[in-house]
Amino acid sequence: MTERSGEVFDLGYQHYEGPREGRMRARKALWVNGVRTALGLGRSSRAKILPTLLFVAAIGPAIILILIASVADVGDQVPEFAGYYQIVSITLLLFAAIIAPELLCPDRRDRVLDLYLVRPLTPVDYAGARWLSFFSIALALVYSGQIVLLIGLTLAANDPLEYLRANWLQVPRFLGAGAVLAIFITTLPLAVAAFTTRRAYAAAMVIGLFVISAATAGGLTECREAHGGGSNPQGCERQAGDAAKWFALIDIGQVPSHVNRMIFADDAQARAAEPSVVTAVRELHSTVPVGWYILMTAVPGLLLLWRYRSIRL
Amino acid sequence: MPPLLEAKQLTKSYGETVALESVDFQVHEGITGLLGPNGAGKSTAIKLFLGLTRPTSGGAEVLGQLAYNSVEVRARLGYMPEHDCLPSSVTASEFLSHMAQVSGLPPSQARTRAADILRHVGLAEERYRPIGEYSTGMKQRAKLAQALVHDPLIALLDEPTAGLDPAGREDMQDLIRRTGREFGISILLSSHLMGDVEATCDRIIVLDEGQVTEEGTISRFTQETRSLIIDVDDKRDELVAALAKRGIEATVQGASIVVEQESEEDYDAIRDAVVEADARLRRMAPRRGSLTDIFRATT
Repeated sequence: MTERSGEVFDLGYQHYEGPREGRMRARKALWVNGVRTALGLGRSSRAKILPTLLFVAAIGPAIILILIASVADVGDQVPEFAGYYQIVSITLLLFAAIIAPELLCPDRRDRVLDLYLVRPLTPVDYAGARWLSFFSIALALVYSGQIVLLIGLTLAANDPLEYLRANWLQVPRFLGAGAVLAIFITTLPLAVAAFTTRRAYAAAMVIGLFVISAATAGGLTECREAHGGGSNPQGCERQAGDAAKWFALIDIGQVPSHVNRMIFADDAQARAAEPSVVTAVRELHSTVPVGWYILMTAVPGLLLLWRYRSIRL
Repeated sequence: MPPLLEAKQLTKSYGETVALESVDFQVHEGITGLLGPNGAGKSTAIKLFLGLTRPTSGGAEVLGQLAYNSVEVRARLGYMPEHDCLPSSVTASEFLSHMAQVSGLPPSQARTRAADILRHVGLAEERYRPIGEYSTGMKQRAKLAQALVHDPLIALLDEPTAGLDPAGREDMQDLIRRTGREFGISILLSSHLMGDVEATCDRIIVLDEGQVTEEGTISRFTQETRSLIIDVDDKRDELVAALAKRGIEATVQGASIVVEQESEEDYDAIRDAVVEADARLRRMAPRRGSLTDIFRATT
């Protein structure tokens, strides 16, 4: 007796009777898709190279700092949580300039945006979800670096519990400062990417802006050699004189660093790694760099929204 | 049954240019063709129903709601644009599953729907290949699939056979017919190709210079007319003269003679005229209406 084998039935087209979760599901789907796109998930291995390097750039410095702290006897000289952000902020901004446009440019170039905007999504939903995608990655990056640093430094300390007791206040500080950095490195590249369909143009524009502004501000805030040079504010006569502290704000890459310096309450260890522009901005009232940061994130943020609100298909 | 789409005194102007002027029409269940020459206002009408642009006056209603004001209603609409709109680096399976979620379906159902619809459009075997590697015909099918993946009540298809070879065109027409009749998804098909509309649609709306010039069922436009077509091998002019002698006005259109039939007796008169002209009769038949006639009349 032979066993009865399975049969395949073609039921034809079946209508969908399940739940329809509307606009909220649409936003969530776009957010998840943005995270996957930025990380190269579901794509070729080539697409994963840059995101991998981005994680290495975020975690690598934390591991190096832990190794230095545990192997070398340099005590308080090793930059910790504040110094970590100072070290990684430029690298992360560079990577963000290259990766973030991937979330916006191909959708407009391939005209996939046309398909999104005929679904339960508004242009603002779209731009917001894409922004949130990259912000999530940026936040995960900067926090994971700090968490690795915290765990490493705690374990490397002679008395880990005592170390935690002495440094617990650094946790809310690095959470706050991480958010400041993540918002900045997300908003600026995305705003630039909103105005071109070519990812390479957007990346080149952000990197160009960053390099030119850094070179200009660095030149104007440098101390004259006759007065000792270096970044020591005492006895330092800067190239641009008294106006140097204002010109220092030009350096786009250091905009979040001015705020983070305040969040970490002028951490002494971080000063060692501080560039001359950050030192120069110390001479300004604290509301100025904070206001400058708000302006430098709000304006690109509003430009991004305006660009998508005014888009015509 | 309330209409799926309804244009109420719909007007859309771009500066001085009026794309649609106080247009009224309804789209009900089935396959409806939106026919008209380039610049007739077809694309503008579609954009208005998709809520992509605001009407200058009047209303474009989708399922009883104003399209421009209701984002949620778009979850029940499908749209297949004429132009390329697919990402090249992702697979059709992943893209369709994502688009189903963007239309509001939960992830697990979205994946099932993506697999099902890719099977229905004939891309089951290719679903794990990046879309960039697809042929033009396959891309058109993937475009149609993304318009249907969330099981819309109506799908708006803009020139769905554009860029296809004759075989690909026939396949797409067949797919559109199946979508409308077998799947039960209503369709508004915008095209300037008579063949597409004639082969697929139940009803047509003809637009010209921003106004509706004709509207009705396809059969109304393609039914038999009172004209007779007479094809003869030779002596065409002699036949026309013989018909005129019997009071029958005949016109030569291409290789045929067309006669407006007024009574049954005209058949006898035509027979006698053919005998008198000594012409060899090849065909005599009532003429059927064609969509080309409407199109010709509007241009």
